[in-house]
Amino acid sequence: MARILVPFLLWRMMLPLDRLDERVRSCIARRGFTGLSDAQVQAIPPVLDGHNIILIAPTGTGKTESALLPVFSALVSSPSKGGIRALYITPLRALNRDILARMEWWCRELSLTIGVRHGDTSASERRRQALSPPDLLITTPETVQALFMGKRLRRHLAGIRYVIVDEIHELAGSKRGAQLAVALERLHVYAGDFQRLGLSATIGNPDEIGRFLCGTRPFTVVQVPGAKDLEIAVKFGGESFKQQVETLYPMLGRKGSTLVFVNTRVTAEALGHELYERGDVEVHHGSLSREVRIDAEERFKRGEINTLICTSSMELGIDIGRVDHVIQFGSPREVARLIQRVGRAGHKLRAVSRGTILATGFSDLLESLVIARRARANEIEKVTVHRNAADVLANQVAAIAVEYGEIERDQVHTIVERSYVFFDCGTLLDDVCRQVEEHRLIRLDGSRIITTARARKYLSANLSMIHDERKVPVFDMVSRRTVGTLDESFVVGWVHTGAVFVTKGQLWRVIEIADGKLTVEPARKVQGEIPSWEGEQIPVPYSIAREAGSIRRNRVVKNYSHEPESIRYAVTFLEEMDKNRSPVPTDQLITLENTDEGVVCNVCAGHKANEALGRVISILMSAKFGTTVGIELDAYRILLRLPSHIRASDVRDALVTLDPAHMPGILRLALKRTALFKWKLVQVAKKFGAIDPDADFEKISIQRLLDFFDGTVVQQEAYRELLSDYMDIDTAAAIVHLINTGEISIAIGRLSIIGAEGLLSSRDEIPPPTADQAVISAIRRRLESDHVVLCCMNCRDWKSRTVVSRVPETPQCPKCRARLIAALKPWEEQLYVIATKKKKSKEERATEVRLLKNANIVLSSGKKAVVTLAARGVGPENASRILGTLADGDMFYREILKAERNYIQTHRFWQ
Amino acid sequence: MNLQFISKGPALLIQNRQKILVIADLHFGIESDLALHGWHFASRSAERLERLCACITTNSPDLLILLGDVKHNIPKTTRQEYREIPDLISAIRDLVPFRILPGNHDIGIGRFLQEGELLPKWGAIVDGVGFIHGHTTPAPDLLGHLIIAGHHHPMVCLHDEVGCALRAPAYLLAELDEIGPCRKKQGGARKTTRVLFMPAFYECAGFDVLQIIKRPFSPLSRSIRTYDAEVFLTDGTYLGPVSSLEDDVAA
Repeated sequence: MARILVPFLLWRMMLPLDRLDERVRSCIARRGFTGLSDAQVQAIPPVLDGHNIILIAPTGTGKTESALLPVFSALVSSPSKGGIRALYITPLRALNRDILARMEWWCRELSLTIGVRHGDTSASERRRQALSPPDLLITTPETVQALFMGKRLRRHLAGIRYVIVDEIHELAGSKRGAQLAVALERLHVYAGDFQRLGLSATIGNPDEIGRFLCGTRPFTVVQVPGAKDLEIAVKFGGESFKQQVETLYPMLGRKGSTLVFVNTRVTAEALGHELYERGDVEVHHGSLSREVRIDAEERFKRGEINTLICTSSMELGIDIGRVDHVIQFGSPREVARLIQRVGRAGHKLRAVSRGTILATGFSDLLESLVIARRARANEIEKVTVHRNAADVLANQVAAIAVEYGEIERDQVHTIVERSYVFFDCGTLLDDVCRQVEEHRLIRLDGSRIITTARARKYLSANLSMIHDERKVPVFDMVSRRTVGTLDESFVVGWVHTGAVFVTKGQLWRVIEIADGKLTVEPARKVQGEIPSWEGEQIPVPYSIAREAGSIRRNRVVKNYSHEPESIRYAVTFLEEMDKNRSPVPTDQLITLENTDEGVVCNVCAGHKANEALGRVISILMSAKFGTTVGIELDAYRILLRLPSHIRASDVRDALVTLDPAHMPGILRLALKRTALFKWKLVQVAKKFGAIDPDADFEKISIQRLLDFFDGTVVQQEAYRELLSDYMDIDTAAAIVHLINTGEISIAIGRLSIIGAEGLLSSRDEIPPPTADQAVISAIRRRLESDHVVLCCMNCRDWKSRTVVSRVPETPQCPKCRARLIAALKPWEEQLYVIATKKKKSKEERATEVRLLKNANIVLSSGKKAVVTLAARGVGPENASRILGTLADGDMFYREILKAERNYIQTHRFWQ
Repeated sequence: MNLQFISKGPALLIQNRQKILVIADLHFGIESDLALHGWHFASRSAERLERLCACITTNSPDLLILLGDVKHNIPKTTRQEYREIPDLISAIRDLVPFRILPGNHDIGIGRFLQEGELLPKWGAIVDGVGFIHGHTTPAPDLLGHLIIAGHHHPMVCLHDEVGCALRAPAYLLAELDEIGPCRKKQGGARKTTRVLFMPAFYECAGFDVLQIIKRPFSPLSRSIRTYDAEVFLTDGTYLGPVSSLEDDVAA
């Protein structure tokens, strides 16, 4: 693909202007533009020439104008034939409003009509647009989907000549983007070839984004270098939150305005709480209501406050006026994110962007240093495009069926195959059609796809590929009040009657799931950990975690930073490790550390690879030891929650004997029984129309319902997404390979200060492969608490009633010291009276013989015999057979189980 | 005399004078009800029937007893049911003679049946064992016998050190309390009555046994002696008394 890198030369600055329509030029002059930005100089000519372009430039370099000025120029110079002529698509409604506010002036001056249409647009406005569409329509990907649903709106699509996709890097990596790519090809059916303009922040793979936008059509990448204008400092903020706030406080006192970016909403709220008293600080994140957010934006813009604490909600190009400084609280986790965030500073053309990362711990500091270095070196992550996402295809098949009423399957194939995201979809379309037919979204009649009564309703509820998370209220039936809400995904994956979970710092047991609400009672003790996913958690890529690991190995902190405080902290931390004789985990050393809770595996591999590795190890441990293994992880460590007898050396054995080639298979098996998988499966199934967005989860065993998806395209998609989006199996396999070849070694030790650093991100549990273990523990527990009567068959003058667990290993009569003790079930106690009789009938003598047999078994096998004899329907004969097998441990209990089962089936119900 | 747990069902095979196969809660036609609650699946009746027929042919009973809730939708019989049930019933009839103890979901099932196939809803004794769906108070003559009941869809959750490890259909066996509502109709008989609650044959059903005991929703479940009620898995594994399961979670 052609790449234009025009050097910055003054005389060329105004050159593209000459090619714009005179009316647009006069507007530019009236608007007070003194010159064009780099981005505009470079982008305007190819747009005017009719090229499809991907414009890559930092935020705040006039990208919107780069695309729209030449589009305006073309629109004013050609007469309107009615209908929409240009479509401007952004990922956010807030961005839509912003663009509208900026462009209204231009359109008024140029007598073009402009409109915005998205989820918040009123019905009357929509109707007006349907009757007389604007020249330029600003909209979201979801509303583009809606445009195809109405007969009248569809007519207006034929005149579209330009489609601009803003913040395309945001969309390209998501299923929303995949859906949009198909929508553009559906538009192509009405409008023919139109010009495609993608506006992107700095990314690692612009060519792929170009293909994503344009399919197989030619395009031009216009890249405006931006990173050289970044000034990024890394500062250590202290280990505790209190220290970090103290470090942050004076930084906000400077002249000018500051954006403080944080990684989670919780942090935003916590910081806001600490800083609120200053009076010049507001908080901005996605959970706040729209009014609150807009108010904060406005006040910041007007200069009434000079600090805004925000999450990724502020990353995109919403105009908030002048930003002088950006502070990133904690590592930004990705290079692209750092550049995007710091790019918000100096939001004036050609101003230098200044940013400071406030690191919040040892790992966080090293990670921040690595990210800052990479940002300066322009080493940016790639955006991964979702290709062949089956749920997107299902959604689009249903949408196309509604759009056309009925359509040949080949025609659908042609449309979707024009897009980059499905251009080699193979038989996927057929599989998807079969599946959505099962859920009655379409009907198949030979080669034709026909829409159904359900489809339109489905589509209105599923215009978006964003999975909207329903909140399920949690109702405490003891205090009769609602104590909070849980994410629906959590409820589907985890909660069942009797389950115990934590919310608001308290334990609750589920009593009932009904009417979209969870009824609970307070619980006292939980068995194991309950998972939680922080949806907004940003994964640290492998490359960054590995480089951070190499700093630990080379101890070259000073190559990364000139800030004495940071260097001193990092160096002291590593010296502390040495002093404790803890081996330092690096990119070439994995350390396994024993703790009370289990084993911490320190692996510098990033979130996704650790996720894959952690799950594979835990399934192996779970299979080998027959216990549930809980995992928690971050970019540098995996905590395996294990019963106390399983130690680091067992984990090492599992690691060194692992064959990387088996890992994908193991992972698939492992995933199937996890909450994460069920959660994903439900999401995908919803997009396939199998489950309504507001489906009830009551009165139904969701677990088994989900089994219906075994082997279907729905299940495949859930796997595909999990294995590509949530974890990185290839990297995990590569690490295991390096362990096999000895390039990565393993050390075992006690818990170190690196291992003990916060483990916060994701949690899940891997249940054991067979339920056997749980059954056996249940039986073992039951037998241990059974009552038993011990009676001496020697002196025949001692009996004692006790529970099995309290019986000594070799029971002995306290009176005569004999070990000839019979173990009787409580209801057999009266038999002992017979044994003490002087004169016995024939029957009584038989009983005595049985008791003696019983006592002889106890004499030879001790407590084990007592356990056996406590089992249901197990008399001396059965007991000696069981003990004769010499089975131990689980096998022993399995033998008892067999005997009980036999007894139950033959006698139990028929006295 | 013998009672066999058939896990590929779940079903019970009772061998006394004759061989009786017992199956509970088929819920044919549930898919249209699921759709109303937001779950859109193709009908799985054929698959369920196949499983049922396999169960009949491998065990070759003399008689099949269906413990109610053969169909699903109430108060109306749906189009899906009118379409599917006659064929289902005749497929079963071709294999083995059967009796149905009608359940709360079986309103209007009579129209699909022949004379004698429908037993009274308050239960019946066949070959010395009482059978009932379980939503009504049992007839007095059932008392003193082993009663096998459906309706409750019992299921069990087991936990291990780290969390829930197993959720599976289960049987619940309990003695009927002598001071329950059933007592009034007992008329002096002193023999203990035990009830065996069967898990549902329908794939997606399940109530935790602890819930059945804590929050009983039928005359039978309200009058069982809970402290020594016992739980079995579908292959006959004796898990222990309900109290041991409870300790498991609450201790």
